[in-house]
Amino acid sequence: MTAIAENQADVRRESRAPRRSFGHWGLVGWVYLVALLLFAILPMIWMVLTSVKGQFSALQYPPQWIPQNPTLEEYRRLLSPNNDVGQEFIGYLLNSIWVSTATTVLGLLVAVPAAYAFSRFRFPGRQFLFYAVLLRNMFPAVVFLMPLFIMMRWFGLVNTQWSLILTYLTFGLPLSIWLLKGFYDNIPVELERAARIDGASRFKAFVLVVMPLSTPGIIATAIYSFILAWNEYVYALTFVNSKSKLTLPVGLERFFTEYATNWPGLMAASFIMSVPVVVLFLVLQKYFVRALTEGAVKT
Amino acid sequence: MTTATYQVDTRAPRPVRRPRRRSVWAEMRHRWADYMYVLPALAVMMAVIAYPIYYTVFLSFFKTPPSLAMDDKIFVGFENYGRILTNDSFWSTTWNTLIWTFFSTFFAYVLGFGAALVINREFIGRGIARGILLIPYVISAVAAAYVWRWIYHSDFGVLGALLTQLGLADGPVVLLDSVDRVLTALIVVNVWKEFPFAMIMMLAGLQTVPDQLHRAARVDGASAWQRFWHITVPHLKGVTLITVLLLMVTNLGSAFTIPWIMTGGGPVGASHIWITQIYEIAFGRIRFGIASAYSVILFIAIMSLGVVYVRALTGGDERRRQE
Amino acid sequence: MTQFPKGIRVLPRLLGSTALTTLFGVGLVASYLHAPHDAAAQAVDPADWTPEYISSIAGTIEVDTAAECSAVVPSDYEGKLTYWYIAPNEASPLLDHEIDAQFWEAFGAAYPNIEVEIQSQDYNQMLNKIRTAAVGNAAPMVARLPILWGVEFAAKGQLSEFGPEDVGYSVEEFWPGAMKSVTWRGNTYGVPSNNETMALVWNASIFEEAGLDPERGPDTWEELVQFSNQIKENTGKNGYGLVARTNAGNTPFRFMPQLWAYSAGALDEANDAPTYETIAINSDGGKAALQLSYDMYVRDKSVPVSALTNTQTENRDPFIANQLAMVISHPSEYAAMIDRAARATGQEKEIADRVVANMRYGLIPRGPERRAVVFGGSNLHVFNPDVVDGGEVDMEAAKALVCFWAGPEWSTKISWTNSNPGNLRGFQTSWMKERLEEIKFLDVTTSMLAHGVPFPVIPESPEIMNIIVPEMLQNALTEKMSVAEAADDAAEKIESVISGF
Repeated sequence: MTAIAENQADVRRESRAPRRSFGHWGLVGWVYLVALLLFAILPMIWMVLTSVKGQFSALQYPPQWIPQNPTLEEYRRLLSPNNDVGQEFIGYLLNSIWVSTATTVLGLLVAVPAAYAFSRFRFPGRQFLFYAVLLRNMFPAVVFLMPLFIMMRWFGLVNTQWSLILTYLTFGLPLSIWLLKGFYDNIPVELERAARIDGASRFKAFVLVVMPLSTPGIIATAIYSFILAWNEYVYALTFVNSKSKLTLPVGLERFFTEYATNWPGLMAASFIMSVPVVVLFLVLQKYFVRALTEGAVKT
Repeated sequence: MTTATYQVDTRAPRPVRRPRRRSVWAEMRHRWADYMYVLPALAVMMAVIAYPIYYTVFLSFFKTPPSLAMDDKIFVGFENYGRILTNDSFWSTTWNTLIWTFFSTFFAYVLGFGAALVINREFIGRGIARGILLIPYVISAVAAAYVWRWIYHSDFGVLGALLTQLGLADGPVVLLDSVDRVLTALIVVNVWKEFPFAMIMMLAGLQTVPDQLHRAARVDGASAWQRFWHITVPHLKGVTLITVLLLMVTNLGSAFTIPWIMTGGGPVGASHIWITQIYEIAFGRIRFGIASAYSVILFIAIMSLGVVYVRALTGGDERRRQE
Repeated sequence: MTQFPKGIRVLPRLLGSTALTTLFGVGLVASYLHAPHDAAAQAVDPADWTPEYISSIAGTIEVDTAAECSAVVPSDYEGKLTYWYIAPNEASPLLDHEIDAQFWEAFGAAYPNIEVEIQSQDYNQMLNKIRTAAVGNAAPMVARLPILWGVEFAAKGQLSEFGPEDVGYSVEEFWPGAMKSVTWRGNTYGVPSNNETMALVWNASIFEEAGLDPERGPDTWEELVQFSNQIKENTGKNGYGLVARTNAGNTPFRFMPQLWAYSAGALDEANDAPTYETIAINSDGGKAALQLSYDMYVRDKSVPVSALTNTQTENRDPFIANQLAMVISHPSEYAAMIDRAARATGQEKEIADRVVANMRYGLIPRGPERRAVVFGGSNLHVFNPDVVDGGEVDMEAAKALVCFWAGPEWSTKISWTNSNPGNLRGFQTSWMKERLEEIKFLDVTTSMLAHGVPFPVIPESPEIMNIIVPEMLQNALTEKMSVAEAADDAAEKIESVISGF
């Protein structure tokens, strides 16, 4: 078994060795890369630069390109548990962490077996059900606000974070199942068969043999659901009312009210909000690419 | 090398010990345990889809002016549909939606594919570059919308200041407040947000292109361009189809936050797309009946796209299974 | 807290609020207390409502809220309440937060056995939330809603009939305009909590730079257009802070006064007895008013280009940055600036102090017909038990809260930085006096109350005000339509809206 796995790894390494030469396209490529990097990062840099300005110097025009008296005041205010603003913001942060984590964990519990079944089993209606699951992405979120709210009310979930977790779950599922299914399609059946011969049940074979091999897929799926849940705005806006239960994107809007804007504060909050997902993604991105490569996208 | 063996094997999901044919019902009973694996996913999906669809379609046949409680709604048959389709603003919004969807998708794909090609090379700092390129995709649309609104600001925006200082513009650079430029400005933000997704998909696709083919072609004297055109491109057909369709569906149906926070559809509806218009009708004008009818029209549009989408996702798969 | 004999506590309920006077007549405050109702009766006469008059009545009465309210609901009442309102948020001045905390402390002390479950909402988010909640039968028992929102819920039967008399106050204690805003088809559906009118704020140093008299604001709208142009030509800075974003409450607050000044309006809301049936937006006056905005934005280019996507939120930024000379804004603008100045340090402190020192307040310009301003504010509403979470409203607890909130004491304190008490007796309290001394220019904004015109009290109002009116502005300002076409187009849209579809 290990031998097979190692062999596989060899194959992978070889087939994915990045190509070194790019011919005369090389220069064009570099220029393009630099331009694109600037396009991607400059708005973020402006976010950070604005966030360390004072409320007044942020409003100068032409702007101070480099903040003259940088201050971390806004960050201090947002992250200090000793004042109202800080307390509230930290509350949003913790809520977002909880909602996203719960969504991710539940999402995996639901998606992994489903993807496995769609990949391995041949029960009647399999095709139809697979389509049905994928169709979720076809429906615009905005349209479902009212009916879903009424449903959440039936379930007694209005103004609970479970209403969000349940909804986010369904956003993430289609791509998760599709991603994981691709992964399982590429895991040799022999492995399970061997385990079955050794006396393991179907479920046990799945847990002990298939799951570990699909780790990149599971990690990728997890990041994907986490980010979706972390960033969702429209449903969070409608389903949750208590200030103590709000998630970050909605909390962010509270900075932008009728009476005052606080651009540095808004930018600082946006930055803090982005850090966890960006770090998570940067650390785990290779799994994401690998999952796509070895699973869904494999032709 | 054992690649080939694996690939053949993986296509046969279960030991092919097919007993005599059973009726569907018997088959379903026999395989009840299989359904247990899928059940949670289906239950969640159905719970969240079935009722809202019913509700939306049902409500689309009713008139619900702001002065009436939901219980007193008035049945009007297809009148809501008629009113929408004969309204000029519907067609201008539709035109905006088409432009928004087409150009967002096109540029997100082209930029993303280009990025994938470049990032697929080996160079120092490749991981960091890839990470930076992924940031726009990862950050929240709300944060992105605020940052870009701040950058574009007609009086204060750093973009205008930059262009003026570089001598590329004099006077204010008007983007969000211009009927002619607002949609383009929003598409740029949307492309910024989405191109990393295309990049990561295409990167994954590129990494599945067998290296042997390239090597063989090089031995035969094929140029980089020829190799790209004759080997890489055909190989990426599948993943391209999927990526483009996923982007299109997102742009049609869920890219709501950016236009809504940045312009609210204005000026004069120049940046209204279907979803922002539906939201405005439902929550700004408080006419759920018309908003529902609008939604049904949107369903139909996305569903037709969805048929293609699902086929693309599962079509190839199906063929393999039948072998 | 003063405990009155039991008999006295029952009295006002028997005799109505006029009896309050006699009740306190025991003490030496008697003569003062007779004043409020006389004053209130006079207060609605715009001729009397001058800054001098406002100062003269401030600090003339004493109020014991706990005692007044315990006459309505006994202070040992045991109950439970859910309450939604727009509480102070991250951007509010510190003082707002403190007063909010003080209120809940005082209410808790007066009614220790009423448990209030509070949900604080965001201004931009609350309307949709409460709509969704009402449709889904998840509404709170009591909510404080901005003045424009309530009628929609009343029309849908989602509010309980509930008025000042239910909490021991007389209708005369509130502005007629405010009472109009809580009335639907002859029934009362709420109690005004606070009323606000805006004023014109200008930056004296830009005026000086432009060669204008720094101490005199424009008196008419035409003069405002002129000033704006002169400022742009002489300083390069923007003159007037026009706003024209759709789906934002700020736009009508700043544009409707212009229409009303020219004897137009969306409907006939500027009349004394409006029917809300005739459309006035495309009258000659309406077109003349729209022409003014066109002149500033298109002809003179003397206003911010970002007007079409701006809310007042973004307009205030250039004002602070010394780039915009005039805005229409709340009394709180000044308080907020002081608050910002207090938080700033070093170089920022200098800028802040300079901006504060140069702020001037004046009446909103008048037109050929009148001087007008939007009569704004908030009302307290009790929801219909059918749409409330749990299907029940604890009416006594609701009364206790509304009595406390809408009384002279707390309606003054809660609106400390940004508004005015809904209860007219609030103007006579010592807290009002303190505010007038502490908040510069408060007398100016407050004296605008007499010119207040409420938005049409029909459920279609939000659509007309937040979508149709801004769209008309945008059509004219982008030159997609001529001024006359834009006004006619808006009239057509309003027609279709009020005709019932």
